[in-house]
Amino acid sequence: MRTAIVTTITAEIAEITENRFKTILGVLGVLGETCRRVVAGLVSVALVFAHATPAFAYLKFGVDVGGRQVALKWARTPVRYFVSDRGVPGVTPIELQAAVARAFATWQAVPSASIAYQFVGVTGALPLEEDGQSTLGFLARPELDRVLASTSFLIDQSTGELLESDIFFNSGFRWSVAPAGESGRFDLESVALHEIGHMSGLGHSALGETELQAEGGRRVIASEAVMFPIAYPSGNVSGRSLRDDDVAGISDVYPDNDFTATTGSVSGTVTRNGRGVLGAHVVAFDLRTGSLVGSFSLNDQGRFLIAGLSPGPHVIRVEPLDDADLDSFFDVTAPVDLEFRTAFSDRLVVVPRGGDGGAVEIRVMAK
Amino acid sequence: MHKTRSLVLIVALVLYSLRASATVLVPADLGELAHDAGAIVRGRTAATETRWTGDRRAIETVVTVDVEESLKGSLGRTVQFVVPGGTLGRYRSILVGAPQFIVAERVVVFLGWRGPSYPYLLGLGQGVFRIAADANRSGARVTPPPMIAPAAGAVRLVRGDVSRVPVPLAEFEQRVRTLAGGPR
Repeated sequence: MRTAIVTTITAEIAEITENRFKTILGVLGVLGETCRRVVAGLVSVALVFAHATPAFAYLKFGVDVGGRQVALKWARTPVRYFVSDRGVPGVTPIELQAAVARAFATWQAVPSASIAYQFVGVTGALPLEEDGQSTLGFLARPELDRVLASTSFLIDQSTGELLESDIFFNSGFRWSVAPAGESGRFDLESVALHEIGHMSGLGHSALGETELQAEGGRRVIASEAVMFPIAYPSGNVSGRSLRDDDVAGISDVYPDNDFTATTGSVSGTVTRNGRGVLGAHVVAFDLRTGSLVGSFSLNDQGRFLIAGLSPGPHVIRVEPLDDADLDSFFDVTAPVDLEFRTAFSDRLVVVPRGGDGGAVEIRVMAK
Repeated sequence: MHKTRSLVLIVALVLYSLRASATVLVPADLGELAHDAGAIVRGRTAATETRWTGDRRAIETVVTVDVEESLKGSLGRTVQFVVPGGTLGRYRSILVGAPQFIVAERVVVFLGWRGPSYPYLLGLGQGVFRIAADANRSGARVTPPPMIAPAAGAVRLVRGDVSRVPVPLAEFEQRVRTLAGGPR
């Protein structure tokens, strides 16, 4: 899919200024010529990605507990879940159970994360009922038009404890579990993988590129995160595999013993006219592996932190989330800034193993 | 010391992690929203009330809006609609993707309804646009920037595009009225 993204944005290569290359390559002056050429090529790719595509980012859920925010995550694993006994045309209850099991297994297989899940049994209960058990299943919710699926949480406000999380798949849409997908039907496993990411504590990623169409609607051109909130068109099964951003996110929420020791982070601030920018999308591109992981500036000082990065040099890019349903990412009562231009860090950031690459300040300009 | 600083920063960012949504959407452009809405109103939220649903199996919030202007349809001077989730006692229910409202904020909402029940927001968060006073320019503006379908072909959305900014309220409403009355 990265190839698709590159193809899409090739026409924008010319927009990347020579000065930008020179600035970054100047930092690489200490490297040998051969290495420098290799890195220069990678920088080109990085900037192409960074310039024209939405970035790779994960976002962790937080909940307010007594006036403070705490991370929303399961206190105990395995996470126990039930599957509803109802099917829909094209998907039997057994097929539903199998599809969600595959999706759970995909998250559980992330080697740097400790999350685990346990299927408890089939239930006659429906998802979205506040009954103390986590249930996945189909549900007719015609008022939730344009919502393929969603995840709910029931939280004890006094403690922040996550009591229950349900996932509903909207039976108003046509679904498929066919291995290669089916035209006109949305892939259940792909959507389940996304929702289980939420169930595990991940918010949305902004990594995805879309286009508006004359006949109406908005179509995903490419996506580099399962947690991107807009579905691929029906018939597409690209969303069955986790991407680097998803892996970094789940590992950050449920790190295994080695995760923090073997990965690093980038932190810093995004500022505009000396003031912090809230809600900027910040991306780290690993020049050696091609991995992209990101985050957002999440306070009024514009501070960000991207964890779960592979050690090595990274290019950092910042962009506004000006094409998104902001309710899908943030509490929009906060003043999210959408009116700045894309910007890059003025240096490569070398992420150390088990540490942070140092404070990075990225200044952005008004549109 | 360095590790301690990192931990402090991580904690700080977690604390500031914002409520996010957990929905896979089929996105709509402004024309689709305007066409499909039974009613479109601009107004100010007057109240929010969280309650159990009629079957007492889930929690929902009724949002009351004092209508300033009806852009499509007419639901009276006060409109109520429901959004999933809310807080009842010590329990908070979140259907993430469902927007939250605070009293006294100005919004434009795109509403649909089925049968005798309360209206609902089209496409959850897609059906709400928020109005903010513009400190640097005259008048109010609407955010997020609306998605306008191109006249022909397809247009790729590029973040940071200088043209993608919150639009003046009057311009937004004019577009909505035009799109609501036009063909889909």
